[in-house]
Amino acid sequence: MRWGLLALTLAFLAYPLILTNPFYQDAGALVLLAAISASAWNIVGGYAGQISVGHAMFYGAGAYLPLLLYQHWHLPPLLGVPLAIAVSLGLALVVGFPTFRLQGHYFSMATLAVAELIRIVVSNWELLGAAIGLQGPAVSPNWWDLTFRSAVPYYYIFLAVLALLLAVTWYMEQSRLGYCLRAIRAGERAAKSLGVPVRRYKLYALMLSAAFTSLAGSLYAFKTGFVDPDSGLGILVSVQMIIVAALGGTGTLVGPLLGAVILVPLQTATNTWFGGGGAGLTFIVYGGIIVLIARFEPGGLMELWHRLTAPRTRRSPAPRHAA
Amino acid sequence: MILLQVIVGGLLLGAVYALLSSGLTLIWGMMNFINFAHGEFVMIGMYVAFVIVVALGVGPSIFGLAAAIGLFILGVAIYFALIRAVMRGPILAQILSTFGLALLLRYTAFWIFSPNFVTLPQSSLTGTINLGGILLNVAQLVAGVVAAALTLALHLLLTRTAVGSQLLAVAADRQAAMLMGIRPDRMQALAWGLSAASAGIAGALMAISYPFSPAVGETFALTAFVVVTLGGFGSVPGALLAGLLVGLIQALSAYYFGPVYKDVIVYGLFVALLWLRPQGLLGTA
Amino acid sequence: MLLSAEKVTKRFAGFTAVAEADLTVEEGEIVGLIGPNGAGKSTFFNCVAGDLAPNAGRIRFAGIDVTHAPAESHARLGIGRTFQVPATFEDMTILDNVMVGAFLRHHSRAAARTKALQVLELTGLKDQAGLRAKSLGTPGRKRLEIARVLATEPRLMLLDEALAGLTPSEIQRAIALVRDIHKLGVTIVIVEHIMEVILTLAERVLVFNQGRVIASGKPQEVIDDPAVIEAYLGRGHARAARRE
Repeated sequence: MRWGLLALTLAFLAYPLILTNPFYQDAGALVLLAAISASAWNIVGGYAGQISVGHAMFYGAGAYLPLLLYQHWHLPPLLGVPLAIAVSLGLALVVGFPTFRLQGHYFSMATLAVAELIRIVVSNWELLGAAIGLQGPAVSPNWWDLTFRSAVPYYYIFLAVLALLLAVTWYMEQSRLGYCLRAIRAGERAAKSLGVPVRRYKLYALMLSAAFTSLAGSLYAFKTGFVDPDSGLGILVSVQMIIVAALGGTGTLVGPLLGAVILVPLQTATNTWFGGGGAGLTFIVYGGIIVLIARFEPGGLMELWHRLTAPRTRRSPAPRHAA
Repeated sequence: MILLQVIVGGLLLGAVYALLSSGLTLIWGMMNFINFAHGEFVMIGMYVAFVIVVALGVGPSIFGLAAAIGLFILGVAIYFALIRAVMRGPILAQILSTFGLALLLRYTAFWIFSPNFVTLPQSSLTGTINLGGILLNVAQLVAGVVAAALTLALHLLLTRTAVGSQLLAVAADRQAAMLMGIRPDRMQALAWGLSAASAGIAGALMAISYPFSPAVGETFALTAFVVVTLGGFGSVPGALLAGLLVGLIQALSAYYFGPVYKDVIVYGLFVALLWLRPQGLLGTA
Repeated sequence: MLLSAEKVTKRFAGFTAVAEADLTVEEGEIVGLIGPNGAGKSTFFNCVAGDLAPNAGRIRFAGIDVTHAPAESHARLGIGRTFQVPATFEDMTILDNVMVGAFLRHHSRAAARTKALQVLELTGLKDQAGLRAKSLGTPGRKRLEIARVLATEPRLMLLDEALAGLTPSEIQRAIALVRDIHKLGVTIVIVEHIMEVILTLAERVLVFNQGRVIASGKPQEVIDDPAVIEAYLGRGHARAARRE
């Protein structure tokens, strides 16, 4: 098992050096970016079981603010990253605080409403580029502007951020917060009766998730140098995170990464084969996949794997002991 | 005078919102389930109207009926194919199921029809009518009145008929209803059919007056969410009241702040509602 | 006095489920709540547990007013409860289930794990620690719930029909477990239908009917009380009992 992990890590590290075709290097970077945002969503959607369908609001904040600072005030976009995180944390509180004391549906509805609200406002706000969007530095001599011609530096930056995120997630998973979040997902009423501070922990999960999602959005802005209401705040941004996490397995550490590795190349392939119409078909398929996952294997591929490889256990009680 | 016109127009559209949302609140009250694809039912109702009018050239009563029947069947089919199974599973699956369904329906519509906005060809309901100095669009007037009537009809169905009391029994206590010989499964399927049908008719009614595209589903879903939250969990009369209110607020917002922000204000009010009074107008804390 | 509930009233949309019910529990007691179906004992129980807020009345635990306190604070103060329909965390392992309880008092994973294993040992579930909760049958789930609550180190344990649906031999095992927990110093309030359990376990019994407490006292006294017999079996039997 440890050797497998080592091999996998080396594979990820060596990937762009082995597949030197710029197309594959770029694809690799996109896979990692998708894995980052899906893993971030996973913290609140997977571990805590609170389904956000408007995570694009955090991603969009992360993408817009650095480019805003650059385009309007000629400041280094990097300064926008912590600002975007702060904004995202604020949004998380606005959405989560009232809804986390209510049934789960309210939270989901609220995320959709707020994300859409923000998208409409941004689409009509000249300062934020309205429908056209914002642009970052095209080519810059400064390293902190993070404009690279090759995808390779981005690949490694993304890999580092993913590693950080997975480490944080792993640490959380093993901690009191992690156990309690899983309990909240499994049964909120029972969790409350055991003293779990449900509302507070849900907020922690959402804020952690929002911060990393914002970071993912910033990374996207650095790489593409551009954002508009659709690419930054559209519903498909939220959908992408959900399907990637759900396919791989929500509430697992590597599920989102697994989902990204499968889905992103697939999406790139269908886009290439079907051309412009490919995008439309892709989302029909995405919708279908989400329905199938929900209907047959909500735990995703990780759960499927677990079910196929778990030892056969009988449902009858274990040998009796004197109580 | 213009303001009065705006107000009446808003109330008329609000009645349609009420009809559109009554199905959603029925399902929520019965099964504690929010259908994220509800907006797509409305959208499909609009396109059913479109297809029928283009193919057969018939009037609103026909395509309204077609939308109702078609969506009823779709609603029941979705219940048996998907909903019944995910109800037994985790909440994640429940929310994802209709969310995925929404995407599936929306992008299939994008693929079949183009992303462009379309309108129905001229129907018999054209022109304006002068009611006491207020100029009203005939189509919008008919839509609003019909929608209000249908919403009330739904309420009466639930509260005054045998079938309705069976539906409400299942909503109140599944176990007890089963003990009384009611089949919850059948009732829930019926509820889904009614829910989809009412959304479809609302869509057909709106299609007469407004242009539409496959993208509108999301906006209607959000509008419905606001209406059912404002009106209170499971309450059809609440949905009627809330629908009228939301229509009114939207019309006034468009009048004072321009059409771009009319939805934004409604969504913003939704967030405020969640902060201050999530049980809605008629609910108890 | 560990727990005192005074004149607790709970109404649901015009229907009064619990009307001015009183209950006092001294530290170290085992008290039973019985009554026919719909008598209000579960609703009362949920008020005491913090799941429902009473419309009137007061509930005090160890001197602290908990009438409107949320369920989370109840647990922290030392009130634990099980659910009528077991609410175990199905996809989590048995050990993890109990660890969630243990995390209330222990903040590190290692400490919570140790505590959880201790509790699993006490409740006879240690061998199944690695299995998922959903692999258990109902008796196992009920036992797991008890273990999970025990891990929160409660002073008072509220058991909601923890023995319903068990076979006679399972009932014996469960009674033994409750006795073991009692020996650890935990005060117990148990809602139950099964007379045998109440008679065996409870030192004191309260009888509910139509939202009110109609009798209270030692188990043997209570079951001979004509009011109680009338509540369960109707007026005819009560008259017959009085004649004897």
